[in-house]
Amino acid sequence: MTAPPYDPMSDGGLQEEFVEKWRDAAYGCFSSGHKFCREVCPVMQVTRNEQHTPTAFHANIVAMSQGNLTVADVADDYVHCTQCGACELRCPNTLFTGDFYRNRTRTVQVVKAMRALAVESGIEQPNWKRWVEATLDRKNEPVIDVPVSQENVARWAEGLDLPIGGETILFVDCEAAFYRTSVSRSTAQLLKAAGVAFGLMREQWCCGGPAAEMGYLKASRELAEHNVADWRAVGANRIIVLDPHDYISFTEDYPDYFGASYDFEIVYITELIAELIREGKLQLTRPIERVVTYHDPCRLNKRKGIHRSPREILRAIPGITFKDVDHVTQWSYCSGAGAGLAIEKPEITAEISRRRVARARELEVDTLVSACVWSERPLSAAGSDVGLDVRDLMELVAESAGLDPRGVHGVAGPQQEAGQ
Amino acid sequence: MTTFVDVPDVAVDELRNALGDEGVLTGRSARFNRTRVPAPFPVHRWAEYVPDLVVLPRTADQVSEVVKLANHYRIPLVARAGGTGLNDGALPLKRGIVVDVKRMNQIKEIDLVDRTVTVGPGINMLKLNEELRKHGVMYPDDPASYPCSLVGGRIGTSGWSLIGGRYGHTRDLVISFQIVLPTGEIIEVGDGGGRKIRKSSTGFQLKHLFMGHQGTLGIVTEATLELVPRPEVEFAAFFHYPDYPTAWQSTGALATSGLATLAGVVLFDEWKVRYLRRDDEAYIPRPDRVKAVVATAMYGTRDEVEPAARRLLRIGRASGGTYLGDEISSGDWASRHDRYATPLHGRLRTGEVVPMSWHCEDASINFSQLPAVTEKWHAIAERYIDKTGILDDWGMFAYTNGAYKPWGDYLTEIDIGIWEQKLTDENWPDWVACKRALAQVALDHGGSITACHGATREGDAELVPVEMGGGFDVMMKIKATLDPNNIMNPGKYELDRAYGLDEKVFR
Repeated sequence: MTAPPYDPMSDGGLQEEFVEKWRDAAYGCFSSGHKFCREVCPVMQVTRNEQHTPTAFHANIVAMSQGNLTVADVADDYVHCTQCGACELRCPNTLFTGDFYRNRTRTVQVVKAMRALAVESGIEQPNWKRWVEATLDRKNEPVIDVPVSQENVARWAEGLDLPIGGETILFVDCEAAFYRTSVSRSTAQLLKAAGVAFGLMREQWCCGGPAAEMGYLKASRELAEHNVADWRAVGANRIIVLDPHDYISFTEDYPDYFGASYDFEIVYITELIAELIREGKLQLTRPIERVVTYHDPCRLNKRKGIHRSPREILRAIPGITFKDVDHVTQWSYCSGAGAGLAIEKPEITAEISRRRVARARELEVDTLVSACVWSERPLSAAGSDVGLDVRDLMELVAESAGLDPRGVHGVAGPQQEAGQ
Repeated sequence: MTTFVDVPDVAVDELRNALGDEGVLTGRSARFNRTRVPAPFPVHRWAEYVPDLVVLPRTADQVSEVVKLANHYRIPLVARAGGTGLNDGALPLKRGIVVDVKRMNQIKEIDLVDRTVTVGPGINMLKLNEELRKHGVMYPDDPASYPCSLVGGRIGTSGWSLIGGRYGHTRDLVISFQIVLPTGEIIEVGDGGGRKIRKSSTGFQLKHLFMGHQGTLGIVTEATLELVPRPEVEFAAFFHYPDYPTAWQSTGALATSGLATLAGVVLFDEWKVRYLRRDDEAYIPRPDRVKAVVATAMYGTRDEVEPAARRLLRIGRASGGTYLGDEISSGDWASRHDRYATPLHGRLRTGEVVPMSWHCEDASINFSQLPAVTEKWHAIAERYIDKTGILDDWGMFAYTNGAYKPWGDYLTEIDIGIWEQKLTDENWPDWVACKRALAQVALDHGGSITACHGATREGDAELVPVEMGGGFDVMMKIKATLDPNNIMNPGKYELDRAYGLDEKVFR
């Protein structure tokens, strides 16, 4: 039952270095043994496979430290994660020793690190590999059968007369720039209507977050360096972000890459829009006759603690009936879209979204509102199967503000004109 | 990739035919992760207890197929639900096949008229209650592992519930179940017959026989459970005391109050209070005069609980307790599942913080014997802390242990931290000796080794024949009759002796 002995010379000591770095943190989970994370994990709830649990992600490292497993044995386990962060929140170690001992359980980082080790060791997932190669080639993610290229990255803004550069930049996520352009158009028009001065980048590349989440650190870094250089070149110091994945990249990955010199203020769109409504700079006058519930995007709610502003905005929309589900209850909810799961294991993503939509249906609502453009594709697909509309929060706010953003949104298939 | 020791390829092919490719896992990670349980086991010898393969059945028929096949090829089988047990029950001592039932997690029927819910063994109680909540009912099996343990494991260990004084424990809450016997037959067992019948006098009481056997007598594939109305009110009251004897007396006074909504009384000794103060979020206040704590909780309708709560507070105060206030009481009770084992609360004699794993001794002890057992257990812990240098005394709890009546005997727990990373073949026997000494004290005081975890691990298992007396011969006869080829979790409970084998628990 003993594994073939790991030879540190075979990979230049990569695995040895990895184990040395993560072994004690992994043992913190292994020795605790609670497994409270398991039933909140969106992937585990679907696959019911113990290897796809956060506890396995840590136990594997303990076994690697004993020479019992290698990265080749475990790489596939770590594909089964959306990096939603629920496991970290539900971990008693985080709850009871997180602050004083500075021992917050960092399973998301463990997953990212193991994926990076796999890539560096030559163990690649075929769809992720293709995705990252295409991203590097086109400088934006190959989001769907739309013309993804630098020539088209700002095409969503046609007719909006947006300037380039300035102190405040609106960073438009690849999915919003190419696929669900109604989100980016809504956002831009809302900011204009509220008198917020902002511009676009001269040349916007993918944030690099997905590449980092899949383990392609060099690719991620390359994309990040371009974006930061572009920001600096136009004198930007404040970046408005409309997708939670970008928000993670700019507030977690980029500071790691660039250290103290990285001094940009990163603002999430819901925080800003809530403030603009509160200050009366944005008037929501047109009633939206919908019965809605809100989907807490994982990266906002579980990883960044942003759950109040989207609710504040929804409650400010006249005519809307809002049936809320507590953000802690939503720790175990997810769309399944994150961290490349939809690219490598689309059937799991689809099932996670199906379950999320089913929970919304139980509330007898007609619309599920999200604030994460990446979540909206699988949720829309699941919603269309059962007659539930899935909308981005910015789309509804723009509508209520009397704007007519147009752009496309919606499920795969014939794209619809927003607001029609 | 396949490195089977005991499972012939032809058996693997037959398993794939029965369960499909995705229901049979042979990878190294799949197998290593199905060995691991939270109880300290000789982690330095992890590789010796890895199963040869894992199956993930979805139906009782599939489980039955697996069992028949294992009989044919004489392959050991170990059922695994949550893998959260604290006594190595789901650890495949003899390797073989782990039958992981997590995919059998469906809610099959909610019967609001006859007040039952029927589920697969792979469902978790918290998830079940999320669904039941919509109907105004709940399944009140509430162990420390409530957010992660699964119904199948609760039956396999005959679990204990924190609120069992009000609602009963697992054996009281599971009305009947379907089980695949060691020879593959699928049968229904309850008090008598009738899937939803709670009390019967027909035949033997087979439900009790097939609970708590740690997977040695079969694999549960469906269970019909009790539904109770969701309580309108939860009331928790915590008291502190200047010394342990006062707290112990007060525990008795509270537990025998006769208040029907009282779900449990928990006594924390001085070591436990010290341990909880290592917690940066501790609710337990710091003043030195706080030497022991008693926690109580009540559930029921508002009409019942509110007047009863006033009376409970009077009893607590009259017996020497000082109420810790609403915030501490409700806050600590709300976090009752989370704070049992926190690795970084481990301390060496020097005060150095090291990550420790958790051993929880869980004897059943009569109220009258608690002070003596408490004293002896701490003395044993002290001795082995000195001897091994890798242990730590995390203090004791005593929980009311009876069903529907919180008095008489107590789930008595000493928590020992173990610096598992330092376990070796040299110090493992010391740990086992410590464990055995603790269990022996329980027997010396007329108690039982275990209230809810089971006694299948080394240090416990060898005392099972002592505790059971003549009953152990009956156990062996039943085992040999039902499991003629000794395929069901072999090596556990010293039951190998029924087959003329005399092996140590860990090889």
